Amino acid sequence: MQRDKFFREVENVRHPNETLIKTHCSYCGMQCGMNLRVNTKTNKIIGVEPRYDWPVTHGKMCPKGVTAYQQTNHDDRILKPLIRDDASLKGTKEGFREASWEEAYDLIAKRFNELQNNYGKDTLSVFSGVSMTNEKCYLTGKFARVALGTRYIDYNGRFCMSSAAGGFLRSFGVDRGSTLPWTDIHETDCLFIAGSNTAECHPTSMFRVWHVQERGGYLIVADPRETPIARRADVHLDLRPGTDLALANGILNLLIQNGYADEEFVANHTNGFEETKELVKEFTPEYTSQLTGVAPEKIIRAAEIYGKAPNAVVMFARGIEQQHKGVDNVSAYTNMALVTGKIGRPKAGVATFTGQGNGQGGREHGQKSDLLPGYRKITNPKHVEEVCKVWGITPEEMPQPGVSAYEMFELMEQKTIRGLYLLCSNPAVSAPNLNFVRKALKGLDFMVCADFYLSESAEFADVILPSVTWSEDEGTVTNLEGRIIKINKAQEPIGESKPDWQMQVELAERLGRGKYFSHLKTAKDVADEFRLASKGGYADYYGATWDKIDKQDGVFWPCKDEKDPGTPHMFLDKKFYHPDGKAKICALPYRPPAEEPCEEYPLRLTTGRVVYHYLSGNQTRRIKFLRDMCPEPYVELHPETAAKYNMEHEERVRLFTRRGEAIYKVKITEAIRKDTVFVPYHFGHEQSINLLTIAALDPMSRMPEFKACAAQMEKVETKKVL
Amino acid sequence: MQKRLYIELENCIGCRSCLAACTQCGGHEQRNRNYVYDVNPLKDRQTMPLMCLHCVNPACARSCPAQAIQIHETGAVLSALVEKCIGCQNCTIACPYGIPKFDTEQNLMYKCDLCIDRTKDNIPPMCASVCPTNTLQWLTDEEIENKKQQFNLDNDMWVTSLPYLEGETNVKVNLPGILQGTTKLF
Repeated sequence: MQRDKFFREVENVRHPNETLIKTHCSYCGMQCGMNLRVNTKTNKIIGVEPRYDWPVTHGKMCPKGVTAYQQTNHDDRILKPLIRDDASLKGTKEGFREASWEEAYDLIAKRFNELQNNYGKDTLSVFSGVSMTNEKCYLTGKFARVALGTRYIDYNGRFCMSSAAGGFLRSFGVDRGSTLPWTDIHETDCLFIAGSNTAECHPTSMFRVWHVQERGGYLIVADPRETPIARRADVHLDLRPGTDLALANGILNLLIQNGYADEEFVANHTNGFEETKELVKEFTPEYTSQLTGVAPEKIIRAAEIYGKAPNAVVMFARGIEQQHKGVDNVSAYTNMALVTGKIGRPKAGVATFTGQGNGQGGREHGQKSDLLPGYRKITNPKHVEEVCKVWGITPEEMPQPGVSAYEMFELMEQKTIRGLYLLCSNPAVSAPNLNFVRKALKGLDFMVCADFYLSESAEFADVILPSVTWSEDEGTVTNLEGRIIKINKAQEPIGESKPDWQMQVELAERLGRGKYFSHLKTAKDVADEFRLASKGGYADYYGATWDKIDKQDGVFWPCKDEKDPGTPHMFLDKKFYHPDGKAKICALPYRPPAEEPCEEYPLRLTTGRVVYHYLSGNQTRRIKFLRDMCPEPYVELHPETAAKYNMEHEERVRLFTRRGEAIYKVKITEAIRKDTVFVPYHFGHEQSINLLTIAALDPMSRMPEFKACAAQMEKVETKKVL
Repeated sequence: MQKRLYIELENCIGCRSCLAACTQCGGHEQRNRNYVYDVNPLKDRQTMPLMCLHCVNPACARSCPAQAIQIHETGAVLSALVEKCIGCQNCTIACPYGIPKFDTEQNLMYKCDLCIDRTKDNIPPMCASVCPTNTLQWLTDEEIENKKQQFNLDNDMWVTSLPYLEGETNVKVNLPGILQGTTKLF
């Protein structure tokens, strides 16, 4: 067990008639350790107690984590399957009636069969998510391909982690979100953090971030807004939204020009240096400043600090990834570590702040349109053969690759896809260009949604299946470090709710595919099959048994067999995962955002998060404490921008783009660029900022550009009340 | 060794996890008893927690005509005893930090008791347990002394460590500015 300087031996408070179930938070990739307090008489979860001995977070939790337990026995839980007979009510909460599981399964099987008989196997689709266990993510991929036999499966990681995955695969040949454990972070000498509102989105990283500064180390933050972490940064690179690639190239150029390149490392362990060196030459501090809006002296200073630092970690998040060049941004910032050789040793490396709880594990095991378990490719015949052996099907039966999340909505609109099985996601809030997406959902012939609350997306469903919260099932999750951890069951499912894996097994039986699924009777059964299916892949989980996870406080993949303790630090042997063992330094020409400001739409709109809400807000908007703290979205404006539009604090403004509009309350702050406006995205219906965002997709990751588009606004004249 | 609550204002990110956690303490009836303020609203995102400092000679207790506010042997200034509190609100006026809250329905004051069911056994209070930034910490006197030396700064511009604010307090505070005196590694 690793113990760092923040560890304190603390006994938990134990109340009479209570037991503590150790587990992790339901929300973000930090997966903070927590104990759920369970009343031993009612067997219900009644509260939370810190898990002081969890090595990553030491009992620390953000307000979402502290109140997470309130989801389980919440009044809004769906307790029985719901069926809506009147399709004209789609897009509303109306018309649902309670039904038995039998009736719901029968209806789904009947409609799915009808659709596939009339329009072919691929008329059905599965849209999934990664806020659930590896076991569920794994089985969802198998469910789509073996039970439904469709090629169309994809997941909400396309709106979250796919650019990081693409960038890491290109640079390193492997996609593990962090090359080093989080317990290293406070010991590094320089943190270069780009496009991460860490204090609000991954708050429990902050005690380590601040400790770097307390030790005399440096913090560099690149963000269009002066977020709480940027407020304390040694250098705040306040760039225009969507210009990260220029900034990264500019800094790389200075690192090379000023002699910070590690020639030995570059020569022996990388490819692509010369070409990249040539390309970034153009990005002088002045030219970079012109493109990004960051003062040249700040760029020079940031490069100097990163270059001089004995150890440094480059970190980033959705700010750089949710762009139509997200993959290039990831590789460009990763270039900094590769050129200076600050990687492949403790206290130095590259990491992304994974958004969803299982954003790492959930993308590795076959929910992505072109991937199979263990990070195998569905286009690689050898990989297909390996997985087919575990699944018991022939390679001919394996569907072809499908399309990405947003592109599935396009196929729905074109009627190529007519049926949808949605789980663990709320794309009616989280997808871009929502007017289009909501219309696509409404036009479906038949839609099933599995959720534990009636989400905005569930409002489009014909059948809603009640799933369980994270606290009513068990399984593994892979946190943002690449550490496989165990979620434990604290209470029995309430009402008639069931875990997703169980629904899929039962539904597969209804669809006549029981022989591939019926042996999976417990979460552990799914776990054992899943470990086997990942065996031999890049993301090898075979040796990560539940016992080992418990004994070691988690297991870092790859973990190939029973004896392998796992891999906390990647590339310690300086071997990367490309066939020649070398990493790739990428020469990446700059591209501006897909939609640049113009006379008609002169503002840059960027979107993001607040500390009180998680993703689409389907969970956190129902928790009283969190709702009270942030009940509605707002638009952040610089006072000079507000003055130009004659707008005052808390007045209402109509914000609009080429795609949609919404009305928001104005929040004035000097902590944002004058050319940029910001709106948090956690809200539904007419409050969704994604009505306005652009679906310009990254060519590799198919990530939409949530972070930059052109917008305009006007004051909403309030009617005078007599 | 009995530990103390220690507050490092520089670290606060305004997540208000301490408020959420306060509602989770056994005796707190789901109501939080602490505060987090925006220091410069409309300007930047600086925030600061305002917690009961558990004064050695607490004005709230002194002002209470019913002697409802007891001081625990650990130094924690407890919430008013329900059976003694007469709802006069003297304490809310007397406290220099505006800590005691008043429940108008029950006609009772309530305040931070430093999670006495935890801290009596030296278990950190909920706010300091969860604080993601180490703004709130639960430390020994020795650890607090080290902090003060590390961050001691009185250079005419910044004063970060004060012996106490308004009278001696059991909770120790470092004001913003601690990094001004840090020696950089390189």
